[in-house]
Order: sequence, then structure tokens, then C-alpha cells
Amino acid sequence: MKEVKVDPMNTSFAKTMEILTYLGLVLMIVPGVAYLVMGVGYVSTEDVVKNWGKSTKEFWKSTKGIEIHGYSWFLNNLSYFDCLSVIGIVILAVAPLASVVASTVRADAKYKILLLIVIVEFVVAIVRPLFMYVAGH
Amino acid sequence: MDWWFWPACLFVFTLVIGIIAPISGVGGGVLFVPLTTAFFPFHVDFIRGAGLIMALTSALSSAPHLTKKGLANIRIMAPIVIVSIVTSILGGFIGLWITSAFPEGKYYITILLGVVLFLIFIVMMTSKRVEFPEVKRVDSISEKLGIKGAWYEPTLDRVVEYRVTNMKIAIPAFAGVGFIAGMFGLGAGWANVPVLNLVMGAPIKVATSTSMMIITVNDAAAAWVYLSKGAILPMIVIPSVVGITIGARIGAKLAVVARPRIVKYVVLAVMLLAAVLDIYKGLAGLGYVPKMF
Repeated sequence: MKEVKVDPMNTSFAKTMEILTYLGLVLMIVPGVAYLVMGVGYVSTEDVVKNWGKSTKEFWKSTKGIEIHGYSWFLNNLSYFDCLSVIGIVILAVAPLASVVASTVRADAKYKILLLIVIVEFVVAIVRPLFMYVAGH
Repeated sequence: MDWWFWPACLFVFTLVIGIIAPISGVGGGVLFVPLTTAFFPFHVDFIRGAGLIMALTSALSSAPHLTKKGLANIRIMAPIVIVSIVTSILGGFIGLWITSAFPEGKYYITILLGVVLFLIFIVMMTSKRVEFPEVKRVDSISEKLGIKGAWYEPTLDRVVEYRVTNMKIAIPAFAGVGFIAGMFGLGAGWANVPVLNLVMGAPIKVATSTSMMIITVNDAAAAWVYLSKGAILPMIVIPSVVGITIGARIGAKLAVVARPRIVKYVVLAVMLLAAVLDIYKGLAGLGYVPKMF
């Protein structure tokens, strides 16, 4: 096979994404399967089945009597397999951000600026619900 | 009925989607949301959340390998996602707001989903693929950013170099696609690939690979909206992701042996049926037509 010199920016992006994807998948699937097999979690399987036809707002009101604003619903309940499984999803959702950060280090000046904008947008996407909650929305 | 009945059905259903997707060339993410909305009892909020995680997982699994080969290119992705991240977050936010702010919001989303599916159907039926498009003139943005790349193409036994163009037309197009992907939890390969290939002049392999890279960023950004609203339920996400992952591996092997064109048309017909069912289900929910069952 002929060798192609791949842009170092792309290589860093790929390596970081690969590692975090494996980690995220394992952390999502192993506790997720345990939750499905045992049937016990922050929201029991029976409660999920009874309420999965409702909107998110109604679902959480009916099952836990709460309104969801942000990430505390799973971060405060990591002793349950269903919430632990969501941590795997969080790692998957953060993988592209971490990959962009890794590639920024090896980018030229123009791309450093572009990738920094992407990073800022991503960080805003993650923290936005926390600000909106504090602001009382 | 036992609680595991529907999750088990979901697993089998996504397994079949996973097998069919590589054979038909129609993305699994595009099939999952409309078909699940039409046939399963879950609320469309949770279906969109699961669809987004499914599309994200599939893209994350293939993007690193394609990037290392030089096929997916961050130089093309970066200027595009600056705009599409914003629109995909906006799409996710507005989609969840509609279902929570209006009692009948679920039905509006279901109707819109059917309409979008019609649009996807038309794009898939009409768009062509160009293996190695010729880029005669590079646009000013791509020129300034030095967007170019190369990969080794085994069928030609040589390294293929490429450039892209029309960034000014492509960026607004990707903004629209990002919004739809975030709002409905759909994979966006159906729109990303034609824009990259036919508008920007990226070779088809570069277009499909870079599309995966764009999906990772857009869908991950939108996923945070769904996470912060509690719209990600492991009971729906886990069987879907496991089912489609296993199915895709089987499908990829089968696609090497045979890729009959008829399968693509059968899948497109099913898509059309799902579009009709989604629109009917939405209209029935609003009381404009009688309910089916």
C-alpha cells in the first residue's frame, strides 16, 4: 500500500476520538445491559414502560416528581446502573470536543482560530442549560 | 405484556435496520426515527434522543479510521461546523420546546418528520454521485484556508489528490441540514454527502467520510440539549445502539457479497410509507382524520 502523509491535525483528531469512543461505548453498554437485565435503576423499568409515551417533561413529573434542568438527574444518581450508562453517553458526546482540542495543538494559525471558535461553541452548548437554570428559565 | 417486550422488539428492529442500511446505501439513522415513531409506543422526544445517540455512535465508530486514511478531512469540516453546531443545537432546543410548550406539540413534530422524510426521499431518488469531480476553480475561502487533501486509492493503485470549492454555497446548506438533524435526531449523511460531492466537488469517498466527521460534531453538540432535558432513556438507547451496531457489521459483510439495487428501492418504499404514516398519525392526533388503531 502506498503511504500518504496525513495532516497531523487529522491524526490527533482521529487518535483522541478512537480512545474516547471505545471508553464511552463500554461505559454506556455494560451498565446499560445490567440495568435492563436487573430491572432496577433510578427510574425502574416498570415506571419507564408506564410513562414512555409521555413527553420528557411529563415523564419526569410522573416518574420522579421533578423537572429536569441540566445534568444533576444523572450526576447525582451514579449508584444506579441507568445513570451510570448515561455517563458513557456523556463521554461519547464529549469525544468530538476533545478531538478538536487535540487537533488544535497541531493546527496552523488560521485553523487554530477556526477550531477555537468550534471549541467555544461546544463549551457553550454544554454549559448553556446550567446558566439558563440559574437564570430561572 | 412484559416490560421487556418493546425493548426486545426495538433490538430486533434496529438489528434489521443495521443489516439493511449498508446493503441499500440508505443511512440507518434516517430510517430509525420515522419508523420507530410510526410503529412504537415511545414518545417522539425519546425516539429523537435515541436516534441522535445512534447516529453519533455510528459516526464515532467509523470517523477515526477514515480520518487516519486521509479520507475524512478536518480542513473541510472546521469552517462548516462553526455554523452547523449552532443550528443543530437550535434544532434540538426548538424540537423539545414544541413538545413541552404545546399539548399537541408531539403531533406537529410527527407531521414535520413525515414532511422531512418526503424531502429525504426526493433527495435520495434524484441525487447522483460523482466518483472524482473536477474542481476547475477553487473559491476564495477554500483558497485562503488551503483546503486540500490526498488518499491512496487501491482501485487506481495511486494517491489521489483533491481540492474543494463553493464554500459560500455549502455553508448555508450545512446550516439547514444541522437544524434538521438536531430537531429530529436524524443522521444527516443523506444531505451532507450530495453537498460535499456535487456542490463542493469532493470525491465521493472523501464526501462520505467527511460527512461522518461532520455528524460527530453536530450530533454531539445537539446531544447535550437532549441530555439536559432528560430525553435520553437508556431503556430505548441501549437496545437501539447494540442492535444497529451488530446489524451494521453483518450488513457490511453482506454488502461486499451482493448489493442488489432492488433492496434500495424496497427501503425507499418503506421510507415513503413511514412518511405517510407519520403524517397520518400526526393529523389523527390533532383530530383532522380518524385514528388508525
